[in-house]
Amino acid sequence: MIELKNIEKYYANKGVKSYILRHVTTSIKEGEFVSIMGPSGAGKSTLLNILGMLEDPTYGEYEFMGENITSLNERKRIELYRNHIGFVFQAYHLIDEMTVAENIEAPLLYKKIGGSERKSRVADVLDRFNMVAKKDLFPNQLSGGQQQLVGIARALVAQPSIILADEPTGNLQSAQALQIMDLFKKLNEEEGITIVQVTHSEINAGYGSRILHLLDGVIKEDVATTV
Amino acid sequence: MFKLNLKIAFRNLWRNKTASFINVIGLAIGLASCLMLLLYVSYEWNFDRHFKEAGQVYQVMTNFKDANGRITSTGDVTGNVIAGAIKEEIPGVEAISRLGYGGQSLIANGSSSFKKEAKFADPDLLKIYNYEFVAGNPGTALNDPKSVVLTERMAKLLFPNADALNQSVRYDDKTDLKVSGVIKDPPSNTSNRFDFLMPWSFYETLFDWVKDPSWTNFNWQTLVKLDKHADLNLVNLKMKGMMELHQKDTRAESFLYPLSEKHLYGKFENGKGIGGDVDRIYLFAGLALGILLIACVNFMNMATAKSEKRAKEVGIKKTIGAGRGSLVAQFFLEAMLLTLIGVVAAIAMVELLLPTFNNLLHIQLSISGLAGGYWLWILLIVVVTGLLSGSYPALYLSSFDPIQTLKRKAARAKAVPMSLRQVLVVGQFCFALLLIIATLVIYKQLSFIKNRPLGYDTNLLVEMPQDGLLQGKYELLRTDLLKSGAVTSMCQSSMSISNEGSSFWNFEWPGMADQDKQIVFNQIATTYNFIKTNGIKLIQGRDFSRNHASDTAGVLLSSSAVKIMNLKDPLGAKVKYHGQDATVIGVFKDFIWGSPFYSDRPMVVAYSKAWNGVITMRLNPANSLSQNIDMIKTVTKNINPAYPVEVKLVNELYANKLQAENTLGILSNLFGGLSIFVSCLGLFGLAAYSAEQRTKEFGVRKVLGASMLNLMQLLSLSFMKMIFISVVIAIPLGYYLMGKWLMKFEFHTAISWWIIGIAAIGTLSIALLTVSFQAYKSAKANPVDALKYE
Repeated sequence: MIELKNIEKYYANKGVKSYILRHVTTSIKEGEFVSIMGPSGAGKSTLLNILGMLEDPTYGEYEFMGENITSLNERKRIELYRNHIGFVFQAYHLIDEMTVAENIEAPLLYKKIGGSERKSRVADVLDRFNMVAKKDLFPNQLSGGQQQLVGIARALVAQPSIILADEPTGNLQSAQALQIMDLFKKLNEEEGITIVQVTHSEINAGYGSRILHLLDGVIKEDVATTV
Repeated sequence: MFKLNLKIAFRNLWRNKTASFINVIGLAIGLASCLMLLLYVSYEWNFDRHFKEAGQVYQVMTNFKDANGRITSTGDVTGNVIAGAIKEEIPGVEAISRLGYGGQSLIANGSSSFKKEAKFADPDLLKIYNYEFVAGNPGTALNDPKSVVLTERMAKLLFPNADALNQSVRYDDKTDLKVSGVIKDPPSNTSNRFDFLMPWSFYETLFDWVKDPSWTNFNWQTLVKLDKHADLNLVNLKMKGMMELHQKDTRAESFLYPLSEKHLYGKFENGKGIGGDVDRIYLFAGLALGILLIACVNFMNMATAKSEKRAKEVGIKKTIGAGRGSLVAQFFLEAMLLTLIGVVAAIAMVELLLPTFNNLLHIQLSISGLAGGYWLWILLIVVVTGLLSGSYPALYLSSFDPIQTLKRKAARAKAVPMSLRQVLVVGQFCFALLLIIATLVIYKQLSFIKNRPLGYDTNLLVEMPQDGLLQGKYELLRTDLLKSGAVTSMCQSSMSISNEGSSFWNFEWPGMADQDKQIVFNQIATTYNFIKTNGIKLIQGRDFSRNHASDTAGVLLSSSAVKIMNLKDPLGAKVKYHGQDATVIGVFKDFIWGSPFYSDRPMVVAYSKAWNGVITMRLNPANSLSQNIDMIKTVTKNINPAYPVEVKLVNELYANKLQAENTLGILSNLFGGLSIFVSCLGLFGLAAYSAEQRTKEFGVRKVLGASMLNLMQLLSLSFMKMIFISVVIAIPLGYYLMGKWLMKFEFHTAISWWIIGIAAIGTLSIALLTVSFQAYKSAKANPVDALKYE
């Protein structure tokens, strides 16, 4: 599904290039649950952003579902986001001015899905996460774990083929974190959604099927998880 | 999508109450000013354009030339024969009418009598103005000399319970006229309005000088309606030589000028219309648009300043699939929403303030009176305002890179917006400061003029028109009034002393040069006690005295007249006034008769029992004002029962002369105040925002030992720099512009340094106050709160 060939990313500062990612080559198949791990500054988030088309590599090729992303214009890229990728952030990044239901509905609006279909999908997802009673609350009225659930719900509602999660449990207490990881596992196993997560925690990484270790911008190890 | 955006827009407005409030108030004020402007323009532009076939109506104007053929002045006055000549010699004339002003005259139905505006005209006037008749036949209404046409309002006053048509009314307590027609009240933006209209044929029977045919007795108006295909240029070519053809040696020529242009372009130079009231429209337009622009600038500034808060939202939306277009649309929607709320507030404001405004400018504006096309203009203004205010924020905010905004707390607003914001603020304050300077200069000029020595004493001086029997029974009135103790002295004269009214030339005196015949003198005719009653200063000789019978053939000269006439020994000099021999018996110090901004013409005061019209009285200071006036009313009514008594204070009449400049002063004060207010609102918002942004910095500084004052200085300084720059720009500009305005007047004051000082210091202080308030709030904050989240 995803093919990365020699991805490089650097920032130039007064002529000196500082490399964030170098020689990153890997592929991710449909249905995999991959964790990207590494110390701070290793380039994990950048890699995830590149996967999610939020950043461009300064060199290298990125193929997503057979299409070469680096040559696409912004319109086509937006189409891909909308239809295939769901993003979950560490800081949840919900829109504070909208209610839970509206936050979840938002991606559907940009996909131009009709009103009744939208309502039904949102209701479905709310139900699934047991959040129906909270649908008219604002993000600042929810706890951290609940907000993250909303973030995941928002990522899911567009029925993406891949979810990219950037330290999804980073701001959560351990019990809530486990809840989230269980959810991810279920999504991956039962619905075949590909999941790529960036994480610090060994425990979280254990939920996936594969771990990519990054160090100073290069892939040091690429191992299958020991069950 | 739209509904969600609308909901979010409303919520945003509600959450940022201060910001929204500032924006709405600013936009409302700007929009209200524009709305007023539109009403005013619509009123003025439609002056004399709204009746049927108004485009075919012209007024006969007269160019007065000097001995060298150069045009010295242009007036809308004509003699009474030119109308007939035009009808005969110019093809394509559909209708032509003379128009005479009757002034406030008495009209009565039995015992209910009123003094209302009367005019005389030929029957064709009805065709020219196309009045709407609610009763009577327009084709015949003015044919019979003993007829009168009333306006609906007049008819209701005279006949509250019956139809006015064919009823009889009494004019001037002397003649009975039959009501031959009632017309719908013409709208207030029509010229030549009247309460009742009488036929010219009747006018001729009242005065010989109206009946006598004359080309050069310039006392009336002539209006012409040409047919649709007439060529104005051809007609004017024919008219150019008409006067000289019929009256050799007349130094005048006439031409037709479109009536609809006359109101706005009534000022003539060298025979060409160069402007006039239209300048007021331009001025007003500039003011209104300026304020609207300031409000829009506020909006833009606030929006870009707050961009950091919205950046996160923009970033998220981009990650979940929003295209740039939908984001731009969302921000435009918010701008339009604010603008709409502003418009509603603006309309409410205008409705509330319209009556005061009407009083100020002495016109009649109303929202319902707005011509159809102008509603489209309003819509256009609203849309443009929304687009203008929303454009910059919309395009700027939607361009944010999602990752930059999500990962970094501070959205790096590039250097460009910052300096653009500064330029905008400088611009706002420049405009406001210019207006403040203008206001101060106008007020200084007004007070300078008010302090010009009048030349006569307006204290306790009143006048009333010499109506009806008061003309013949003046001496009786005088005896009775003096006996009643209400007045200490009075006189009768041809004109009021409060405003110039009559002039002449062809005055002859010993030692004059030939071209001196062209010199125009002001004239008043009076009988006895003129100097004493008015408190005029006598320099030489005496006032007309009963003890000298020959004084009836005497004249008084103003000192400027003596100077122009070059008379070394004026007393006793033999002159010829209107062809009659007369002797100079006194010289008086000039007094202000016309506009106080310019010097008057030299003046001649002559003796005439017949030529009167105004009674001037000096009230007895021993009684109260109302006591005196009541006594005058009683005594006068006794002698002249048919007429209501109108007593006016001369100093109020004099004050009217300053009306135009007064209005200008008020307008510039108002708009200046509004501009400062709106600009400060914007400044307040910006300062609040800047303070919020720098909370962390302030927290750190406080921990390092900065005092409150240090922090306040920090925040204020960056803003005060901008205000200082606008002061530096606005002062020379204001000095130059107001200097030019002052040059228009012959008597004018100078722009003193304290005006500049007050304007600059005032603006700086207000701005400083605005910013300091914010600075104080943020300097007071607890540094711990600021540092906690890092």
